[in-house]
Amino acid sequence: MKTRFKGTRLTALLLLGLSCIVCYFAAQSFMSMWEPEKIYPLDDFREAKLSDYFDGIEGTPADQPVFIQEGVEEGGTALLLCGTHPNEPASNLTGVLFLENASVERGRLIVVPTANIMGFTHNGAQEGHPQGYTLETSEGNQRFFRYGNRLSNPIYQWPNPDIYIHPTSGQNLSGKEKSNLNRCYPGRPDGSLTEQMAYAIVELIRKEKVDLAFDLHEASPEYPVVNAIVAHEKSMELAAMVTMEIEFAGIPIRLEPSPKNLHGLSHREWGDYTDTMPILMETGNPSQGRLRGRTNEDLVITGEDKCYSKAFELGKLYIPYDGDQPISLRVARHTEAISLFLENLEFIDDSKGVTVSGIPGFEDILEKGVGYFLAEPN
Amino acid sequence: MIMTLIYRGIVLFVLALVIRCIFKEKDLWKQVTAALVVIPLILRVLMIK
Repeated sequence: MKTRFKGTRLTALLLLGLSCIVCYFAAQSFMSMWEPEKIYPLDDFREAKLSDYFDGIEGTPADQPVFIQEGVEEGGTALLLCGTHPNEPASNLTGVLFLENASVERGRLIVVPTANIMGFTHNGAQEGHPQGYTLETSEGNQRFFRYGNRLSNPIYQWPNPDIYIHPTSGQNLSGKEKSNLNRCYPGRPDGSLTEQMAYAIVELIRKEKVDLAFDLHEASPEYPVVNAIVAHEKSMELAAMVTMEIEFAGIPIRLEPSPKNLHGLSHREWGDYTDTMPILMETGNPSQGRLRGRTNEDLVITGEDKCYSKAFELGKLYIPYDGDQPISLRVARHTEAISLFLENLEFIDDSKGVTVSGIPGFEDILEKGVGYFLAEPN
Repeated sequence: MIMTLIYRGIVLFVLALVIRCIFKEKDLWKQVTAALVVIPLILRVLMIK
């Protein structure tokens, strides 16, 4: 027999009160992601703002820190743009690793650790992603990093259209891509906040006369462009040299040309609209893949997933997957590739060399873990 | 900016209607359902999520 409970004004009030309590705790949880994690750049880095390059974003959620270190000897300028997609944690973490360890001897190094800062303040609905992950430093302290969303937070930029028409090319994209920093280049000074942020980054590249610009990413293991370097025509010669060196070191990587008719992406538009040599790099991140099983902090850090092991057995992955894909490996891949690009830059133009020391090597990061090389919190 | 204000106004209006429903509804389980619907609407009006 079906029992029917009667609703009254009193039950309505009680239930509304309960909703308010749930709202309070949910709000506390969501708002905790608005607080940026602490990072500890070396004193040699000077802090600037992205709005220094385009004042249209001053005072908006798109404004963010830019760190610059100059060497004693003159040379070229390299840019590390990290955190374009905040659900690809090895990107942001590589930037932090450079900020906390890099000593520039020749040329200049510019690091933007949270490129889409508006994507770090939330994570994806129905994805089950953790809000962050914790790494242990060499002294056993904990460092927390946020795991954000691929897109800008809708509380800052709303609404997205059904179809996003890329402004400079007229290319049609899915509407949500209007909030994707890596579909908005070269950006617009009067566009959406994400387009303005893209415009500010392009202005940074122009005004700082960046010679070599990296955009660091991660991709699903089942996505063909993974463990890869994507290079514009301008950077292809350098990228080919580096790819061979990485392969000689026993690290599998593929080199992809930037498609000429795929617009809005850094590896295409930075090359077409500025004088820089753009490089985009991808590592394999199971925590963002569609085949993943249980999604939690462990998956972000270790990349261990039975579903991916099965997919690898079936030949469905584009990375060698031996049961895990730890974040240390993913950061080590980025770090090693960046170091080799910087070492080889002077062979393209002798006056544009950039020498950076203090960055741990591939084997060191693998052996000790990336947390070992992060600064102690204070 | 104006779009966002209009949007928040619409959400506030829907929120008010749902709260009105809670008080008019005689079935407890339908009240519970409406109370659940209220949660995302409050978070969106406040631009928290």
